[in-house]
Amino acid sequence: MKEMTVKVFRFDPETDEKPHFQTYLVRVNDGARVLHALHCIKEEHDPSLSYRYCCASGQCGSCAVKVNGEPVLACMEEATDGMVIEPLDLPIKRDLVVDMEPYLDQIATLVPAEECPLPTQDVVEQIKPLRSCIECLACVSVCPALKVIDFSGPTAMRESLRLALDPRDTGDRVAEAVEDGLFTCTSCQACWKVCPKDIQIPGKAIERLRALANEKGLTLPRHQTVEKLVRETGRSVDRTQETFLEQVTEVLEPYGEVKGTIGFFVGCMYNNRLPRTALDAMEVLRRNGIRVIIPREQVCCGSPLIRTGQIDYVNTLKRRNIDAFVFRGIDTVMTMCAGCGSTLKNDYDCPFRVMDINEVLTKVGIEPPARLELKATYHDPCHLMRGQGIRTQPRELVSQVVDLVEMPAICCGSGGGVRSGVPEEAAALAEDRRIEIEKTGADIVISSCPFCEYHIMEHTDKPVKNITTVLLEGYREKDRRKKEKEC
Amino acid sequence: MRSFEVIDSHVLVIGSGGAGVRAAIEASFSGDTVMVSKTIAGKGGCTTMAEGGYNAVLRETDSCEDHFLDTLKGGAYLNDRELARILVDDAPGRIADLLCWGAVFDVTGDCEVAQRPFGGQRFPRTCYAGDRTGHEMMMTLLDRLASTDVEVFNEIAIIDLLKDGDSVAGAVGLDEKGDIVIFRSDATVLATGGGTRIYDISTNSSSGTGDGFALGYRAGAELIDMEQVQFHPTGAVYPYDARGRLVTEAVRGEGGLLKNIGGERFMERYDPERMELSTRDVVARSIATEILEGRGTKNGGVYLDVTHLPRHQVETRLPVMLEQFLKFGVDIRDEPMEVAPTAHHIMGGIRIRSGGETSVPGLYACGEVTGGVHGANRLGGNALADTQVFGRRAGESAGKARRRSISLDEGQIDLQERRLAAFYAGEVNPATVARSLQTAMWEGAGIFRTGSELEKTLEMINHLSTLNLKAANRCNLIECCTVQNMLTTASLVVRGAILRKESRGAHVRKDVTQAWDASNSPYRHTFLSLCDEGIETGVWE
Repeated sequence: MKEMTVKVFRFDPETDEKPHFQTYLVRVNDGARVLHALHCIKEEHDPSLSYRYCCASGQCGSCAVKVNGEPVLACMEEATDGMVIEPLDLPIKRDLVVDMEPYLDQIATLVPAEECPLPTQDVVEQIKPLRSCIECLACVSVCPALKVIDFSGPTAMRESLRLALDPRDTGDRVAEAVEDGLFTCTSCQACWKVCPKDIQIPGKAIERLRALANEKGLTLPRHQTVEKLVRETGRSVDRTQETFLEQVTEVLEPYGEVKGTIGFFVGCMYNNRLPRTALDAMEVLRRNGIRVIIPREQVCCGSPLIRTGQIDYVNTLKRRNIDAFVFRGIDTVMTMCAGCGSTLKNDYDCPFRVMDINEVLTKVGIEPPARLELKATYHDPCHLMRGQGIRTQPRELVSQVVDLVEMPAICCGSGGGVRSGVPEEAAALAEDRRIEIEKTGADIVISSCPFCEYHIMEHTDKPVKNITTVLLEGYREKDRRKKEKEC
Repeated sequence: MRSFEVIDSHVLVIGSGGAGVRAAIEASFSGDTVMVSKTIAGKGGCTTMAEGGYNAVLRETDSCEDHFLDTLKGGAYLNDRELARILVDDAPGRIADLLCWGAVFDVTGDCEVAQRPFGGQRFPRTCYAGDRTGHEMMMTLLDRLASTDVEVFNEIAIIDLLKDGDSVAGAVGLDEKGDIVIFRSDATVLATGGGTRIYDISTNSSSGTGDGFALGYRAGAELIDMEQVQFHPTGAVYPYDARGRLVTEAVRGEGGLLKNIGGERFMERYDPERMELSTRDVVARSIATEILEGRGTKNGGVYLDVTHLPRHQVETRLPVMLEQFLKFGVDIRDEPMEVAPTAHHIMGGIRIRSGGETSVPGLYACGEVTGGVHGANRLGGNALADTQVFGRRAGESAGKARRRSISLDEGQIDLQERRLAAFYAGEVNPATVARSLQTAMWEGAGIFRTGSELEKTLEMINHLSTLNLKAANRCNLIECCTVQNMLTTASLVVRGAILRKESRGAHVRKDVTQAWDASNSPYRHTFLSLCDEGIETGVWE
């Protein structure tokens, strides 16, 4: 037996004006789950505590709660000392009990044909991962899109794809999905990361549904424009100035000793829209001993097409990009766009290693920059934090140069084709982002993704800077101070 | 009637597992149907947790006669012959329904439903959806339910049946706020599932508290063979607070091996022919004996090993097992699981006829709450089939029930109000009573039983039943009612066990020596009702 302190959210709408937290000291056995700690509270301390559970073995999806801010199944998550247990971010009925039914009702149901041809083994294998959903609604509780726009939600989309694949179903699931908000998903991956069954809803369900929508001619006109642009120019955004590739030579030598060589995959946004930022990054790399090789024939990674279901041209892009680096014998390719990085890592089958610039810089270990007298907050790009699991490295870099104030990691609204396809949603999500930024009292916002930077910039008064730009400012300040000393 | 909410329907279905939803679907073709669920429909009950599979004869090389004989032999010849025959004959049709409604079972390369071997069967006839078969069925049934006019009431617990004269005419429910809801119906179907949560170690979900046995018993229904409690051979032993969690028979079906602490495949000593795939009663006793005789692990289990199987097979056929054990720190691809018996299924229950009719007019029953289908030991894979076969039959019969004008004696509702009021004045936390009951049942009415231990256990149950349960608030009323149901169910199990002075199937009396094997037993069903109890005699054909 062991003792632990547990803080639990309490709210009885009949007697309480507002929710409060209550702390309990519980005794549980070794290996006890969150659910067992709740049982202990109810049996030994407070029988009035309300929470749901049924199977206690991760199969029914009744007991999802937030533990230390993250949605989990209470029956499967190990109880830890000091944990804080709250209801999911859904309408609360009482204590840890939330109203699930309105969301469960949104999930489409199969309408069988007269004849019912069994799906083939191949189709069964495609459907099975989608069917393992236990409808715990953890995904719904974290989805940013459905908080600001009509969207039936991640698990409803999952089931829609299953129905679309099933030969026994008679509904027009793809058209329905479009109606229900298929194009509102920002592909932030929050739903996947909290799924106890590890169902990759954005990649395996939403993008597939969008591809089926594409076959039916239901792709949004703005997304079609992007696809046309990629086919014509190799880039997903048009150029507004001299591009990055036009401004650099193919090989950039470092200023001092060579610590390593990498290939650089620039991506459309940094090449066509924010070349200045990419040039800043090159300076930081050169200053830290990294030789950069930049193949000129590289093109769009295909992410804007994959996310919007327009996959016809993607293999061509993949081949051109892979060839560009393989041809030069490059074994490590660096990305600085979170979207490109996630795509190269997750959607490509690369014969080389792919690293984000934050990984590269923390691995090499950077020369310390001067500290700037700035309070900054860091925005986690979804495709960096969830798409690539990179959370600590940017913080390690940022905190060397400014004072970092944390804010909740929420999607800014620019991903998944939402910025171009559903601009009102993108703006609403950016407004949520702005409010959180305001709360931090930071002077500047730092991020590590051109889509996030560009989008947040439009929705906040604060300067938004790329992490490498801030590092470079730190180096320039360092040089200035050094020079000042010398004078 | 006073200011209670009153819900009228032709058919009232109590329970939302596989049997309940199937019954509601079928009943809806004949009239207004209401389904009441203690949980959110589809999440409670044991169907959704059922992992292994569904037995049905689907191949020309298999036969219903073989399935029938396997079921009888597995059931130690205590099965109601007619019900067992119906089970095997109807099972293929009912899986066809599920497939038509969209169930995603594993299929072979030839697009036939895949089948795997399960214990006690001469043919691999267990159909499956990985190791989440029941969940797949539940999702399919809910889809189908959504296309009917059935009105579903979630998170309402039925606390007693209502009668009009001799016949059942509805039920009293408590909603999540503790308010009374009255249901009036021409026909009422009990599909409340089992009740092995009366044991300390159990696979059952939170709703496996025997509510239906108690509701039926109090309404005058006859129950049979309540002593027949299946202990599943393989329940998890770690972590302690999650003890009893089911480790599916599919693990052994896929080739998993049982070994004691010495690495010995001990089933060789108990059933050399069938080994790990012997019937559940035999395997459970073998494991219990190994542990009792000191050949178990430190955590009190034996090893169940799949490390010799191809990793891919474990990943695709047993994904839920893999995931659960990984969460608890064991990678079953590399290390053996530790398992021990756990109370799983009550074979006994309300006596029914072929259409789910009980001994009380107006009351029907289906699924685990009924007795007779599985005899003294249920074959793995027969319970899911049972839910569908008898769910449909009970739903159909209830749907055809005569429409009548119902007059409810308000005294019944007064009685329930007084019952609830008493809980506010009670002294004992129902959770404490439940714990005491579970321990007493595990120790005194478990795998191995004696007359004197059973008598002692019954005394304990009777004592616990005298305690005044306390409701801390309105939401606790349901828990108090539930614990009363657990006490009633436990009492029925123990009384049945005292009545059956022989070892048969899952029921083992160590204090009785007998000169007969199961097929020649002079005893038939034990029976219990408000007015009578005993054991039927006579050798079956």
